[in-house]
Amino acid sequence: MRKVAPYLVTGPFAIVLAFPFYWMLWTAFKTDQDLYNVENVPYTWTHGSPTFHNISFLFSDTQYRTWLQNTVIVGIVVVAITLAIALPAGYALARLSGQVGQSLGVGIFLTYLVPPTLLFLPLSRVIAELGLQDRLLALVLVYPSFTIPFSTWLLMGFFKTIPRELEDAALVDGASRLRTLRSVVFPVSLPGILTVVIFSFSLVMNEFVYALTFITTSSQKTISTGIYTELIRGDVFFWQGLMAATLLPSIPLALLYNVFLDRFIAGFTGGAFR
Amino acid sequence: MTQVTDEVTRRELLRRAGLGAIVLVYGGMGAKTAVAGAPKFAHKQLKGTLRILQWSHFVPAFDKWFDNTYTKVWGRKNDTEVIVDHISQAELPARVAAEAAARKGHDMVATLAPLPQYEDLAIDHKEIVQEVTKKRGKMANVVHRSIYNPKTKRYFGFADNYAPDPLNYRIDEWRAVGLKPTTWDNVLKAAPRLRARGHPIGLGMSNEIDSNMFLMSLMMCFGGFIQSREHRVILNSKGTREALRFARELFRRGMTNEIFAWTASSNNNGMIAGRLSLALNAVSITRSLELSNTELADKIAFAPMPKGPHGRMGLEHVMHTYMVWKFASNKKAARKFLADLEITYRGAFLNSKLYNFPAWPNAVKNIRRPLMADDAKPRGKYGILDTISRKYTYNVGYPGTANAAMGEVFDTYLIPEMFARVAQGRVTPDAAAREYHRRIGRIYAKWRKRGKI
Repeated sequence: MRKVAPYLVTGPFAIVLAFPFYWMLWTAFKTDQDLYNVENVPYTWTHGSPTFHNISFLFSDTQYRTWLQNTVIVGIVVVAITLAIALPAGYALARLSGQVGQSLGVGIFLTYLVPPTLLFLPLSRVIAELGLQDRLLALVLVYPSFTIPFSTWLLMGFFKTIPRELEDAALVDGASRLRTLRSVVFPVSLPGILTVVIFSFSLVMNEFVYALTFITTSSQKTISTGIYTELIRGDVFFWQGLMAATLLPSIPLALLYNVFLDRFIAGFTGGAFR
Repeated sequence: MTQVTDEVTRRELLRRAGLGAIVLVYGGMGAKTAVAGAPKFAHKQLKGTLRILQWSHFVPAFDKWFDNTYTKVWGRKNDTEVIVDHISQAELPARVAAEAAARKGHDMVATLAPLPQYEDLAIDHKEIVQEVTKKRGKMANVVHRSIYNPKTKRYFGFADNYAPDPLNYRIDEWRAVGLKPTTWDNVLKAAPRLRARGHPIGLGMSNEIDSNMFLMSLMMCFGGFIQSREHRVILNSKGTREALRFARELFRRGMTNEIFAWTASSNNNGMIAGRLSLALNAVSITRSLELSNTELADKIAFAPMPKGPHGRMGLEHVMHTYMVWKFASNKKAARKFLADLEITYRGAFLNSKLYNFPAWPNAVKNIRRPLMADDAKPRGKYGILDTISRKYTYNVGYPGTANAAMGEVFDTYLIPEMFARVAQGRVTPDAAAREYHRRIGRIYAKWRKRGKI
């Protein structure tokens, strides 16, 4: 019973969480005749299904490849900016500011909670003033506003779990603070850093409001708005294309999560008991 | 030993990822999708660029024609580079709000309903209207009443087209129950029988554009109006209460709970799946089916709004309205573009698969001919759209004109909310009419104070 219990608890969760992906996979290969026939069992393929037409439509009739590329570019640059700022900030808040650091950490996290639906109007003014409308740079500039607060907060908690003695030993051995960070603190913080990388990249991939309001040129769109624009036309939804377009980028991301799952969990729970 | 190998592998992975990032970023800079942004067309920039934002038309071929043929030819003739950006219709209001806040963006934006609330930020489009009227005669009344503010005497927008809003109904199913959807009374009688046959009626009562159009039309058929000719709120009337009672009855007898979660695509999905027996929509349902399921497409016919105690009154399905911003950098090109587009509208009408009805009826001569000549079965079924557009299509806010207060009522979906609450039994028709009369009254008071009505 002890062996079975975890499966009984997690099994239903796994089924519920995996079902949307299963549905996407199944729908992505359906023909119109199959999809819209209410007499069909939806979990089978009939009436000419499976078809690869929906996938080839994405690559031949839309700028899907470009949107994927844009998403990757923005994601990588934003992750780099996030790490460059959140790593030292998180460390400083954890080590150097004591109680003040704790309060500042909470304050920074609170800024993460301000929703984009409130911020997009004033930010659109800023983007316009900077002449960045319809440029990927607009997203590169704005996305760190929500990835940095969360990452700083997360890393702050993680750095607190690293024993001070490790750093003290390095400092006693003559290493500078920077060297200590580079050679001692960051290597043991890899789970936290990986968590920030994966989480920030996921946030960038999923972001919609800024991408919608700052970018309208097709060739500059990211996946979240590109597929929404091209595959929802008025009141006509191209369901199979939508499913295929969302399924494809989620596969590498899911694999990445799985490869680093242990470290990801360690990164998230690192500061939980401090 | 194993651990060392493991670490090296991950380090190598990260190193490669870093290299990949550099390649992608720098590689991207070489392409049009670079982080650095879209390339500028140096030579054209000086001569003028016209930037337009509009919806992704439900006929993909229309956008292809508009973006790659029409605007290119017009651009060459007028030495202007025309850039057309498309987004989903549901997201247009957010994007327009962002441009209005930033006072920067496209030279003009097109929405599916007029946005009189932006009148102060838009040019007076009178000059364009006059230019087209000189060449093509009178504008359709429904269009004039949708884009003109009699209080400020300004055209706050320029509609190039509108779409009639016919009933789409299943000929076979209605024949089986021995009725036709010619009157609301017939619809009510047929509803339970159709639902029993597994083909309910699909008319939304949700926060979306189709529900807005259907319920405002239903109110008018029963003699209920939101505003008077003089823009006074007159919602709490016998007609509105009758319409509310009727809608509650129609829901109870012949519809399902899904109408409260209706979206703009629900009627399309329901009809295309062969489940619904009646919906209110433009031609997108049949046009989609003609490509994927002609057998079902042939079973769907169009009809005007059913007749109610006050007559047969419908609204436009969409009123495609351009708005040239005051802060546009190329207002001159925008004005000429819109006038030229309307004066030569036949191409747009045909490429939209007969969806875009010209705002100036004479812009497409003998419009009935291409409608009747369409290949779809029953033969000539699109012909009824001409009758509907001429006889039964009224503006949002009839008998008054469109205005900022009406725009806010429309955008906040107060009418669908009122009907849904009554249909769900959460409030009585009398109380709902009183409550929403008050709420809408406050909106009108606000805009009256601002001098817009």
